[in-house]
Amino acid sequence: MVRNGGGGLLGARRYATADVSRRVLRFPPAVTAKPGKLKRHGRNTVKPVDSRKTFLVDLYKYLMESQKMVILLHYNNLTKVEDHSFRYRVGSINQGKFYQIRNNLFQVYLKNSRRQDPCAPLTLKDKSLLQWNHPLLPLLCGPTAIVTFKETDPTAIAKLVKLLATMGDKLLMIGGQIDGEVMTNAQLLQFSKLPSMPQMQAQLVNHLQLLAGGHLTQTLEANYRNLYLTLKSHSDNISKE
Amino acid sequence: MITKYFNKVLVRFNPFGKEAKTSRLFLASIPPSQRLTGTKIQSEILNEGTDKEPLIRVIFKDKKEIEVNPSNLSFQELANAFESHSNKLRLRELIERQ
Repeated sequence: MVRNGGGGLLGARRYATADVSRRVLRFPPAVTAKPGKLKRHGRNTVKPVDSRKTFLVDLYKYLMESQKMVILLHYNNLTKVEDHSFRYRVGSINQGKFYQIRNNLFQVYLKNSRRQDPCAPLTLKDKSLLQWNHPLLPLLCGPTAIVTFKETDPTAIAKLVKLLATMGDKLLMIGGQIDGEVMTNAQLLQFSKLPSMPQMQAQLVNHLQLLAGGHLTQTLEANYRNLYLTLKSHSDNISKE
Repeated sequence: MITKYFNKVLVRFNPFGKEAKTSRLFLASIPPSQRLTGTKIQSEILNEGTDKEPLIRVIFKDKKEIEVNPSNLSFQELANAFESHSNKLRLRELIERQ
């Protein structure tokens, strides 16, 4: 009796426990929060924080703000081999990097580039910060890629132009941004003919010395030299004591 | 768009102009294998100061030449302009085979 009854009870218990485990193992319900109201990691974004769109807009913001030279290219059906070889060869020019961009998301970044967080939902305050006429916007029609360089160096652009010539008509330079200034293809080609930054600085110093007979550079240096000499004499005095 | 009867292609456009979208989509619609099989593709980028007009010129394999200004055309309209002759060449090829 007890066994049977216990078995019956146990059976009931087993059934109940099985039901509980099912409930526990069930996946959590999908997030149904409205866009813009989803708050995770302390950020309020239009798309979920861990989505690819938010990631890409953040990446474009990082690239445009941290990289001094961003060159926009048009690409025509690159094969896998061409893509890999171009990435490798761009990497050998001043550690350049090649990204194929998503036009709509890049447009989102450019329009919201003045806002602190371009992924955040638009508020009335921020409406005045939107850039509907950003000069780079017309370039985002058709397959577009960017090449980024950390430092401003005209020789890197010259090398890139040579590299693009070897690729045939697969890749075309259509514009870019250098030190925050938007440039057309012709301006970039002119820029590429300049010497490198240290050479230009040396040339400037040479010109100043030639024109002012050496006095101008001495005058410019005088403050720093006086400061250095004063500090040096002070440190000597302290060391003697 | 049927591109396999193109022999030479010249595309001239200003990337900041309104013809840029049509021209760039046209360039991207030519498959990479076709470049290897002998179709010559030239592209020229115009600047704001130049007098040259934007242009797409296609020379077909039967040496017929079609020139179009992409400024006021959508990509579909442009494709239709070239496809009418491509269709003729395709028909001719089919008949010759039989």
